[in-house]
Formats: sequence, structure tokens, C-alpha cells
Amino acid sequence: MLIELLTKKYPGMRLWLAQRLSAVAMAAYLLGLALMLLMQQPAGYEDWLELMSPWWWRLFTLLFFVSLVMHAWLGVRDVFKDYIFNLKLRAVMQIVVDVLLIVYLIWSGVILWSIQFS
Amino acid sequence: MQKQQTRKRPKNLNLFTIRLPVNAIISIMHRMSGVVLFLALPALLWALSQSLQSEASYLALTGLFQHWLLKLFLIALSCAFFHHFFAGLRHLAMDVHWMTTLQKARLSSRLVLCLDVLSIAAFAFVIW
Repeated sequence: MLIELLTKKYPGMRLWLAQRLSAVAMAAYLLGLALMLLMQQPAGYEDWLELMSPWWWRLFTLLFFVSLVMHAWLGVRDVFKDYIFNLKLRAVMQIVVDVLLIVYLIWSGVILWSIQFS
Repeated sequence: MQKQQTRKRPKNLNLFTIRLPVNAIISIMHRMSGVVLFLALPALLWALSQSLQSEASYLALTGLFQHWLLKLFLIALSCAFFHHFFAGLRHLAMDVHWMTTLQKARLSSRLVLCLDVLSIAAFAFVIW
């Protein structure tokens, strides 16, 4: 049943599921971040750098941003569909948002992989 | 007779007199907070990059957030975040058919509002 819903016959279902899965991924990451902040109590730049720099944590952080971009893309798309009735205007606005989100994703990757080790 | 009556039904689209039920308030706030978070993304990414770039930029950023106006901004943003987070969890719960009766949905809406207020208060207390 679930598998059938995810085939090409129901393209919206995949987007629906993507929004939920990205939400779960982000919630898990944020809980992990909150736990790490509580346990390590970073007090300055050095501590903050130490918390963020392990490769696996940067990978999780990047996955968080991938989820965020996917989630935001789907969310903004729904909002535009509900309130922007001019199809051309909506298409243009959607492209602007798409480009912005891709830029944000690249930016987050650059931030994470240019962490300087002291 | 019946048809005549339905045609004469009064319309009320005055936003100031419409009283939304608590579930609808949670729902529209979920959407609005999502839009706010989307708009805040570049500022948040900029803050993340400044916090990691160098010790100098880190200190500049923390110095910036000593200002009460920016603290207020952060608290306002935390309202959007916590509401989107808790209302989102409520949606996920309903997606797996949990708390779906009207009574329970109202209860979980109120719970979301309570968690919002508590979390925002805790966040404000920590950063001030």
C-alpha cells in the first residue's frame, strides 16, 4: 500500500513524505545539538570550534542543511500555491526561491568545510 | 424555500470578527512561523559563518548579540522556531494517526501553545 503510493502514479506522495522525513531528520539533529551543547557547555571560540569540527558532525550538519532546504522548498511552494494566483508571477517567485535555497546550501557547505583548525 | 434561505446566508469575511478555533490558530501560526524562518535563513547562515570563521569574528558576533535589540530579535525568532518545531511534531503525530479526534486535537493544540511559551521563556532567560 505504502509502496504503491510512492510510485509515479502519485507524485505528490513522494513530496509529502520528503517533507515529513526532512522534518524528522532536522528534529533529530537539533535534539543532538541541544544534547551536545548541554553536555559540553562550550564557553568560547575554541570550545565551539571543537564541537563543530569533527568530520562526522560536519556531515550531520550538512545533512541538516540538505533537509532544511528540501523542507523549505516544499513549504514555500505550498504557500505560493495558496496565495499567488498569477501563474507567471508564481513561477518567477518560485525560481527566485529555488536559486536562493541552492545558494544557501552551497554556502552552508562552504562554511562547514572552511573551518580552520588551530 | 430551503434554497432561498441558503442564498440569503450572511457572509462574514471580516478578519477582526472571525474567531478561529485553537486548532486553526496553531495551523496558521505554523505556516507564518515557517515563512519567518525561511526569511531569517540568510541572517542565521551569516551568524554561523561568523561564529566559525576566526576568533575575531566570533568575538565580534558575540559582542553584537550583547545588544538588547538583537536579543529581542533572537527571542522573536525563537518564537517562530519553537512554534514551528512543536506544531510540526503535532502534525507528525497526526500523520501516524495519533491524537486525531477533535477533543484530543484541541488538547494537543493547547499543549503546543504551553510548550511554546515555556520554551520561549527558557530561551529568553538563558540569553539575557
